[in-house]
Amino acid sequence: MQNVSVRGPEVPRNIEALDPVFTVSDLSVFYGAYEAVRGVDLTIGNREITAMIGPSGCGKSTVLRCFNRMNDLIPGARPAGKIFFHDEDLYGDHVDPIEVRRRIGMVFQKPNPFPKSIYDNIAYGPKVNGMKGKMDSIVEEALIKAALWDEVKDKLKQNALSLSGGQQQRLCIARAIAVKPEVILMDEPCSALDPIATTKIEDLMQELARDYTIVIVTHNMQQAARVSDRTAFFTAEVDDAGERHGRLVEFDETSRIFTNPSDKRTEDYITGRFG
Amino acid sequence: MAAQDQATAPGTSRSLARSRPRYGESVIKVVLMAAAMISVATTIGIVAALLEPTIEFFSEISFGEFFGSTTWGPLFNPAHFGVWPIIVATLEITLIAVVVAVPLGLAAAIYLSEYATPRVRKIFKPVLEVLAGVPTVVFGFFALAFVTPLLRDWFPFLDLEAKNALAAGLLVGVMIVPIVASLSEDSMAAVPNGLREGSYALGASKMLTSVRVVVPAAFSGIVAAVILAISRAIGETMIVAIAGGFKAVFTFNPTNEMSTMAAFIAQAGSGDASVGSIAYKTIFAVGSLLFIMTFVMNWFSARLVQKYREVYD
Repeated sequence: MQNVSVRGPEVPRNIEALDPVFTVSDLSVFYGAYEAVRGVDLTIGNREITAMIGPSGCGKSTVLRCFNRMNDLIPGARPAGKIFFHDEDLYGDHVDPIEVRRRIGMVFQKPNPFPKSIYDNIAYGPKVNGMKGKMDSIVEEALIKAALWDEVKDKLKQNALSLSGGQQQRLCIARAIAVKPEVILMDEPCSALDPIATTKIEDLMQELARDYTIVIVTHNMQQAARVSDRTAFFTAEVDDAGERHGRLVEFDETSRIFTNPSDKRTEDYITGRFG
Repeated sequence: MAAQDQATAPGTSRSLARSRPRYGESVIKVVLMAAAMISVATTIGIVAALLEPTIEFFSEISFGEFFGSTTWGPLFNPAHFGVWPIIVATLEITLIAVVVAVPLGLAAAIYLSEYATPRVRKIFKPVLEVLAGVPTVVFGFFALAFVTPLLRDWFPFLDLEAKNALAAGLLVGVMIVPIVASLSEDSMAAVPNGLREGSYALGASKMLTSVRVVVPAAFSGIVAAVILAISRAIGETMIVAIAGGFKAVFTFNPTNEMSTMAAFIAQAGSGDASVGSIAYKTIFAVGSLLFIMTFVMNWFSARLVQKYREVYD
């Protein structure tokens, strides 16, 4: 974490002090015997947007999926090292992954609304979590926050699969918001969307960053540059045995990563020389 | 290789027309079509074979008597043709079977698709499907010689007859469990993993994800599985003939001996009903009714499946 430099007048948002939500130290992730990611140190700041970029197979999604213990669902997946959520060990023995996922929401690469009505999609999370309060207002609030309310308020009973791809993805964001998480993880949320839908999601992320901590994995460097406060650049290294391991190369304020990266590999990547 | 290179080399002009006739292709096409036609032709043949004696039957016995009275005994003297006792017996045994098979089959499907490790699934599913290969005569004998005495021991107050609809229905249920389980599991396994992840990411447990996301998403396939199982149960003959008996009594009490439609056909067909006699024609009339019932069932399931089908791109 020593390479996190904080300060600089050119920084767009006030991110002087890094108020950590996640503190990752020496994280490696194994799939069986294969070490997919090796030795990651990273800090995710409260109510910031942190982007994780890098070429395919660099382990950025794998790291993201550790933050809500989604990797638990993959047989053989096993993290080593530490991830702290505030000051609680995310992989501690007492930790219930279900509670983790309620507090740390996730939006996926491909919009995955349930084959239910728009209303029931939003109401699902609050229901399974036994949330109190009037369901109608919970649904409305989530849809308003996800900037989807005006488009769907007259057809809440319609099947969510009848929405366009971009609307489906905003529905998935609304669904995540409805359970009132603290963090929203986004795994390439725009990669299946057209540019107009992408712009809407990016605008929405800026809005949401006021209330939520957002971590986004993206293939799209411009997207990282547009939306994020800090950027973590990952790459894949081939070791002597010929195995590829994801490594964190550089983690810094986004403006610095894109204007004055300290690592040659980062510079090569963002200038399009590889990846 | 070299010859091919030469042939496609620029400058060589070769016609794009077929260089030699491909007879194999047309032969295969005819053979495949014939195979497809045979099953269609068989179905049409069955309908035609059922139709004529059925029409003859109804020229002698009125619709009113067939559907309007509740005494069945076409093989007796005097003969009675009120079909309701055997319809009721058929539906009742089917109902018992469904009550057994749907919860068991669905639970097994949820276990296999959502909870079992790939290794367990790989062993378990074929074993389950072996159950579907057990000859039904074995189930029937098992019901008669084992289940009925057991039920009599455990529930003496039921006053079970030696042959009864309850034991027959239970075993028909066991027989159709693999159909429900295997086909439901197929359709649950086809639910995109993204839906499960979406549910887990909202803090849902495995049980809630299975019951409230996976099962509804696989609903059309599950309905199809259940309907197919019901069709099998309605037409099941051996178990009900052995364990359910042949006595056609108009009753809803499953502790009684009952004759289903299929059991009646087996009984009358293996007896000495002479061709052209009224008893002989009755077999076809009951056969037609059974055919119509399963046909309506299958048609209904096709409609239902269409209605609830979710299209995932």
